[in-house]
Amino acid sequence: MGAGWGFYALSCYLPVLILMLPNIYRGNYKLLAIAPLLIIAVSLFFIPSIKMGVDFQGGTLITLSMKDSVDADQLQSQLAAEGVDATVQVFHTTMGYRTEIEVPQSKDLVKAEDLKTRFNALLPRVSQLEVAVYSNASYNDEYTQKKAELDNMSDQMFALAKTDRSRLNISGTNDLQKRFSEAYNDVYSNYQESVTGPLGRLVKYDSISIQIVSPVLSASFISSILIISVWAAILSGILVFLFFRTIVPSMAVLTGALCDVLIAMGAMGMFNIPLTLASFAALLMLVGFSLDTDILLTTRLVKRKGDPVENAFDAMKTGLTMSVAAVVSFGGLFILSVLTHIPTYYEISAVALAGLFGDMFATWGINAVMVLNYVEHRKVKQ
Amino acid sequence: MNIFEDRKLMGLVFLFAIFLTGIIYYKAPLSGVIIMAGVIIFGSLSLFWKESHIKLAGLVLIVLLALSSIYLNGLKFGIDFVGGTRIPVMLDQAVDQTTMNEFVQTIKGRVSVLGLSEVKVRAIGDNQIYVEVPSSDASTIDFVENTLSQQGVYTGVVDGKIAVSGDHIYRTTISALSGSQLLQNGKGGVPDWGVAFSVDRQGAEQFADAAKGKQDYPVYMYLDRPTDAVLFMDRTTLKSTIPADSNEKEAMRSMRNALKLENSDIPVYISDDIQNDTNISAATNRTRAIISENTSAQVKEILKQRGFTLLELPDIKMMPEFQRTASQVLELNRLEAVGLLTAPILSAGITSGAPNSNFIITGGVQITDPTLKAQEAAARVKSIESILKGGALPVQISLGSRTIIPASLGSEFLKLSLITIAGSLVVIAVLIGVRYRNLAATMPIVLISMAELAILLSILGAFTIDLAAMAGIIAAIGVGVDAQIIITDELLKKDEHHTTREKIDMAFSIIKTNIVVAIFTMVPLLFSRLLSGLLLVEIIGFAESTILGAILGYLLTRPAYAAIVEGVLAREQKEKPS
Repeated sequence: MGAGWGFYALSCYLPVLILMLPNIYRGNYKLLAIAPLLIIAVSLFFIPSIKMGVDFQGGTLITLSMKDSVDADQLQSQLAAEGVDATVQVFHTTMGYRTEIEVPQSKDLVKAEDLKTRFNALLPRVSQLEVAVYSNASYNDEYTQKKAELDNMSDQMFALAKTDRSRLNISGTNDLQKRFSEAYNDVYSNYQESVTGPLGRLVKYDSISIQIVSPVLSASFISSILIISVWAAILSGILVFLFFRTIVPSMAVLTGALCDVLIAMGAMGMFNIPLTLASFAALLMLVGFSLDTDILLTTRLVKRKGDPVENAFDAMKTGLTMSVAAVVSFGGLFILSVLTHIPTYYEISAVALAGLFGDMFATWGINAVMVLNYVEHRKVKQ
Repeated sequence: MNIFEDRKLMGLVFLFAIFLTGIIYYKAPLSGVIIMAGVIIFGSLSLFWKESHIKLAGLVLIVLLALSSIYLNGLKFGIDFVGGTRIPVMLDQAVDQTTMNEFVQTIKGRVSVLGLSEVKVRAIGDNQIYVEVPSSDASTIDFVENTLSQQGVYTGVVDGKIAVSGDHIYRTTISALSGSQLLQNGKGGVPDWGVAFSVDRQGAEQFADAAKGKQDYPVYMYLDRPTDAVLFMDRTTLKSTIPADSNEKEAMRSMRNALKLENSDIPVYISDDIQNDTNISAATNRTRAIISENTSAQVKEILKQRGFTLLELPDIKMMPEFQRTASQVLELNRLEAVGLLTAPILSAGITSGAPNSNFIITGGVQITDPTLKAQEAAARVKSIESILKGGALPVQISLGSRTIIPASLGSEFLKLSLITIAGSLVVIAVLIGVRYRNLAATMPIVLISMAELAILLSILGAFTIDLAAMAGIIAAIGVGVDAQIIITDELLKKDEHHTTREKIDMAFSIIKTNIVVAIFTMVPLLFSRLLSGLLLVEIIGFAESTILGAILGYLLTRPAYAAIVEGVLAREQKEKPS
């Protein structure tokens, strides 16, 4: 809690600092681009190391909340001894301890899921053929072949579920389907048991949350956010061009937003903030926020009269005040996430803070320089 | 001016009264929609009518609306904040959007039978469903899990013999007949609907045996037919359902016919008569008496004394439905209390005794209006299909492991989240006060932000505030203040060339652009289902609250803020000795 009030107290001084700033656009303002370009270079270096969260990578994330702490390394090696290959992290929160255990995608589960998809695809045809064979023997060959395929898949599934097929006494395709589903459920619950069983013996916890993201689900999450990103990019691009109707300022605004997102992503790589649905939502919001300050700057410079250097500086003071207000909100959320260790809060606030920081550099270092340069050239031409 | 003569203001108050009535009448979640509509209508009006006092009045009225909705309906929080249990339901295969919606509805129906209000069912991707129960009581959760995983057992009975059982039906062959298939199956008239399915060899033999020579008999289609049970009908209820051309005796006979089955008859009695009939008693110590919940206490007591376990059902399930067959026999068609869902009549073609694997159930609809008729036929087909599949679930499901969030943990999350919102508000106010050194102009920012908070909470809280939505609300406060900063900045600028009105217009041109762009970057996320076929439930709340915050800001709170600051500045200027 102390950290929270400390942060709030500190942020009250920020506006004083903004008031004391000199006009940085006097003189050779192009040099201002150096700092943001350096930051972007560093970001580009870190972007490839962004960690995929369980949403996109698939696998299992187990979260335990408990009263007493455990030793993360010890638990990890204890789990390894039980055959569970997991990464363990322990966090201290205001409400006791929170342990996150990440288990990579189980090969058995991936295989079982694949078998199930194929089985379900083939089943209708086999049922149809089975009925057809009763009255018309000419379907026999196809039936025998397809049925053998189905049996083969079932055998593999039974093997995964460690059930003995000969003891099941399967009477027909109908029965086979039922047993197959049961076997799949067994594979699934065996897997869960293999993870939670040892945990129950090793640690004492108050609550447990198990998030299993199957390969199919993670694949559809990925394709979904790609589509959403493309739409967001197209929509904001079109809107910006509609508002300014000139190439250079529009490009400057979009460059600002792009740089901002790059810096935020660099920070994700650097500070180990995983890419999850929540951090993706934060990135989208950053595009909106970053466009806020970019548009403020560009409108004041391009559409208003007066000394562009003064205008740019004025816009910067306004923009920095805006950024500080947003930093206060997301900083509050960030502290909250540290106190509670709620991943959704952490991912959103950390990405937003990184982006707000990046926005200050990208907007007032790159975007401002581009637009100032454009406005001054326009003046010379006139 | 007398405020009653201000027509615009009176119009707003009138609209307010309508919205308020709506909120009182419809309750959550519709109240959220009503407030949203209120924001848009009041907002558009205050953009259109430029008077300052109208803008302020609009905001004040919406805040009142929001507060009364919160007071009347409360706020709904997700299980992350109130504690509870989340049970993932995995579907056997990916399904399309329509099927998924049906699935969610069916599961909702199943769970709501348990009398558990506030159970949330929502789709995750195209092959998973989350069921969230606001309880962490182990026995309740076990009960929910059992209800979810329960698969119905279908039995088709012809004249007291099992003719079809679910085990022998190939589930994947169950399908509705198309129009041309219906034409082919018309014998002496085209049926209005039909369902085809195939059974395996044993099933074919079983049916041939049971249906031999039973032309014009009904197939009683049961889903989860109870065993070891006795049915007690209330005389008045029964009488109300008997057709005009029939009587109690005939009705009871047709019910006995329908409920007979080798070794597992369900006897039927009139509950009003049991006092006199001392022969009625429980066959085993587990025999259930199926009765209406409105049965008199006296009768219930007698049944208990005679060794029955009571199964009390609502009256609606105890209402039999009768039909007359072509040979004018009265037959029981439906009685939900015993799982009898429909009783199509056997046609001559399939009662010869020869084994047959392919079946078609057809029927007519006694409605003349073509649209209603088609709707009814479609509903019949769907219900038969789901009965044959052993329940209403279109694909098999399995349950994942539950997540339990203790209530104490949830309320702690909520408390800290609210503290964060309050803390951020206070700090932002101080910070802006320091920046502009004009508290009179900046303190309204706090008031406006609080108004925004109340409206956002009332709208989102009418649905559910989950972690993502809460994060969005905190974000919306920070971003919402930004536009107010732009306004303050423009207005406090020492610029003698422009009037206050012009300064406000300049500020709004920037704000308008900002808000439109901010909304459009989040809109693809909000419509993720439309664009990518996948609803990203985990983060949709974040998109909703940021977009709502932006709309609210543009339509109501920013104009109101500008009106306040304008007024404050005008007063300051007057007081200044020039």
